[in-house]
Amino acid sequence: MNTVLTTSWFRLKEFFLNNPKAAIGIVLVLGVCILCFFAPLFTDYLPNARIARPHEAPSAEHILGTTRMGRDVWSQVIYGGRISILVGLVAGIFVMFMAMVVGISAGYFGGIVDNILSFLTNVVMVIPSLPLMLVLASYLDQVSPLVIAIIIGATSWPFGARVIRAQTLSIRNRDFIHAAEVMGESKKRMVFFEVMPNMLAILGSSFISTVIYAIMTEATLEFIGLGDPLSVTWGVMLYNAQQTSAIRIGAWWEILAPSMALASLAIGLALINFSIDEISNPKLRAQKIMAKFRREQAKENKRHKAQAEGKTGSEMVGGAV
Amino acid sequence: MSTLLEVNDLCVDYITLNGRVRAVNNVSFTIAEGEILGLAGESGCGKSTIAYALMRLHRPPALISGGKILFAGRNILDFDDEALRRFRWKDTSMVFQSAMSCLNPVKTIEYQFYDIFTAHNVVANRQESIERAKELLRIVDIPEGRLFDYPHQFSGGMRQRVVIAMALALKPRLLIMDEPTTALDVVIQREILQKVYELKQQFNFSVLFITHDLSLMVEFCDRIGIMYSGQLVEVSDSKAILQQPLHPYTFGLGNAFPTLTGELKVMVGIPGTPLDLSNVPPGCRFAGRCFKASAQCHRVEPALIPQAGRGQVACHQPLPLPTLPETLVKRCSQL
Amino acid sequence: MRYLLQRLGFYILAFLVAVTINFFLPRMMPGDPIQSFLARLAQNGGQITPETVKALESLYGYSTSTPLWEQFFTYLQSILHGDWGMSTRFFQPVVEVLGRGMLWTLLLVGSFLLISYTLTTLGGIWVAWKRGSRFDSILTVSSVIVSSVPAVVMALMLYFVFASDLGWFPTGYAYDPALDPALTGEFIQSVLYHMALPLIAMVLLSMGNIMGMRSNMINQLGEDFIVMGWAKGITDRKVMFNYGARNAILPVITAFAMSVGGIFAGSLIIEIIFNYPGVGQVMFQGMVARDYPLIQGYLLMMTLMVLSANLIADLLLLALDPRLRTSVL
Repeated sequence: MNTVLTTSWFRLKEFFLNNPKAAIGIVLVLGVCILCFFAPLFTDYLPNARIARPHEAPSAEHILGTTRMGRDVWSQVIYGGRISILVGLVAGIFVMFMAMVVGISAGYFGGIVDNILSFLTNVVMVIPSLPLMLVLASYLDQVSPLVIAIIIGATSWPFGARVIRAQTLSIRNRDFIHAAEVMGESKKRMVFFEVMPNMLAILGSSFISTVIYAIMTEATLEFIGLGDPLSVTWGVMLYNAQQTSAIRIGAWWEILAPSMALASLAIGLALINFSIDEISNPKLRAQKIMAKFRREQAKENKRHKAQAEGKTGSEMVGGAV
Repeated sequence: MSTLLEVNDLCVDYITLNGRVRAVNNVSFTIAEGEILGLAGESGCGKSTIAYALMRLHRPPALISGGKILFAGRNILDFDDEALRRFRWKDTSMVFQSAMSCLNPVKTIEYQFYDIFTAHNVVANRQESIERAKELLRIVDIPEGRLFDYPHQFSGGMRQRVVIAMALALKPRLLIMDEPTTALDVVIQREILQKVYELKQQFNFSVLFITHDLSLMVEFCDRIGIMYSGQLVEVSDSKAILQQPLHPYTFGLGNAFPTLTGELKVMVGIPGTPLDLSNVPPGCRFAGRCFKASAQCHRVEPALIPQAGRGQVACHQPLPLPTLPETLVKRCSQL
Repeated sequence: MRYLLQRLGFYILAFLVAVTINFFLPRMMPGDPIQSFLARLAQNGGQITPETVKALESLYGYSTSTPLWEQFFTYLQSILHGDWGMSTRFFQPVVEVLGRGMLWTLLLVGSFLLISYTLTTLGGIWVAWKRGSRFDSILTVSSVIVSSVPAVVMALMLYFVFASDLGWFPTGYAYDPALDPALTGEFIQSVLYHMALPLIAMVLLSMGNIMGMRSNMINQLGEDFIVMGWAKGITDRKVMFNYGARNAILPVITAFAMSVGGIFAGSLIIEIIFNYPGVGQVMFQGMVARDYPLIQGYLLMMTLMVLSANLIADLLLLALDPRLRTSVL
């Protein structure tokens, strides 16, 4: 029993040492999520409660200062994070769902299905998302974070769909799919049990990219003023800060806090994404081997130089680069 | 005929995260002027690695870790970068396996001739380069007008001939051909090899011909070297190698080819699987699959030694000259 | 040629889709679209004059008597003739308002494209060359980090530190308001000075593209024709550029076409934060005032931008990749 735990702990440690980028990324993301979703543990104040004087600089009581309305910035950040993260997840899931349905169908079924779906994808892709979101949002009166999530989802699925379609096509033409077809496997089974498992890396990577995009876009839209100013999210915090001229007054904490939160989450997710790419694409992983190779090559060169003083027949180095 | 190329105890390693893997182990052979040497073996036995080593074309993580490669007396492993650059293509050139992938897809054939000529300072201007390129295309029977086309506009056979023309652009003394016909159909294979043979007679260069198609080599080459798991196990005259194999592996290879004529017979392969080079057992590398392996074979590694009047072999119990079994003789002569 | 015509046809279709969206959205709101426009306008403090109502009606071709498809054609015709309606916020034709803003935005985006693509392409080539070195690792990780910072944050930080706090850069406008626009050295200098910080922000945000070029190069360097280039005795540098980069740049062009939408979106944020009078600033004010004609005009204009960029990319690819020309006469 003990050994099972110690070996898995050991393997986990090894993974983190071998992949520092993934480690940092995971720590950042988990850190932010824990702070946000367990917010009551980390602060006594409620995000909307007016409990202090406005625009107070950070102090022992309010580690991140207060807003114009006298609300505690730290509480706002960690409670607000919940909505921001959830919006990102909802949009991310929505986009992934659409992208997978369209992408896998187009890639797998080919023919006229592919033509129609690709055409659709290309059209939606070519119409720029931000202006479209602005148009949609301006027609709706009150734009809650959920609505924003849906709007983001509806306008940004083409990129994922394209990537997934390309991947599906390349898998589809591999021999083991033909073999399964010949064996009479049903199409539905094939999609779920043959094609998708091979795409996990790309699906994971797409999902994370989408979540990053969704969270950032949501913050951006809210910053412009399209969100619900009564809700508490990072974007709205920035909007409020801008509206109350926080910069001019020098209330840097109001801007820094949500910015740091957004940046940390973005960087953490990006690092994780990068690591997934590295792990699944061996070509990119060559970093370590290249470093080792350079060391070995240097060794051989030194040995050759030393022996060349003596006689020929020495150990030598090759290499074209 | 004097010796053009002499390879002594060449070793090539691949650097991996788990240590070095030796892909080519103490390989030695020579190529005389005007000779065609073939190098045969299974996929992964190290033939291409040797070819690349001869021009020091290895990409990391491959590393030449020992031995000498003497080209006309000079050890190319001693060359500095500039000497190496001048040596490449001028003294030795190479025809790669896939003509499509070895040509730059976004530049015309004419440009790709031009940069050969300018890299070696053999032309005064572009016009001269075009003239020389046209002449080369003529040699390989390609219409001059195709000079300004792009690689993707040629058919497979023509592309391969273009690549051969490029390889001969500087009249090298050694031409290395790395599986040049594997991707082509049999008819074109023959045409191309015939053309190369004619050119060899005309310009008197040597050829190192690498392939896994033994029957092709028997016709084309003067001598043949057989490689197994990174080592040279036999070097013999091509006309004799299949009828009078020295090494059990060669015997197995000869058996593994079906004949076009004669009665139907059961295919005989070589049992077992190739070695894992990161985990080489002591003794002869072929011992695990050999039908003649003895205790000594499993303990001591055999060296490549000449056998009187026949060739060189790395085996403790080389096969004797076949005497009577008529089936053996008949079968081999039908190859 | 045929390929190009196909692409052109697609772009025309896509533009029509954008026009259609603009046409149908107001009609999807409950009740009389014109009235609800006006209601919102009033809500947001806009002025309603009989001219406004007239303009709206004629633009959207709204009337109770003509069939829908006829209204659509009227609308389409107006669009194609350059009549995109009247901005309710600025009281000028939408085309003019957007045009003024686009001038500055294109200046910003144009300079950005030039600088960013030069830096990232050369940077990517260099980093791929120095593969496996410490420099490579540092650069790749830092470019990933810098580029994943959201535009909002980056712009705010830069503005706050350099413009507001340290005062090294101006806090708004495209040029010093005291100057008259003219092609004098002084004016140009002022323009550049005001453009500097937004430009820096945008370029920093795009540094992630180094990674893209780098992996393109790495993929290319694994190809056989690179080895053949070396085998031919061609110098390393020539192989890198004429064989490697020349091929690696093709996916960059495709990627550029797909990212244009994002580039303009980024410039919108940057303009808002840096008070730069480009089309983004204009839109910001338009959004607040719910200036529908302007907002819809923005959609059309941005669509045109993306489509043009795609067209340019197609032409570039046609010129640079001979494999695409096989169907050409």
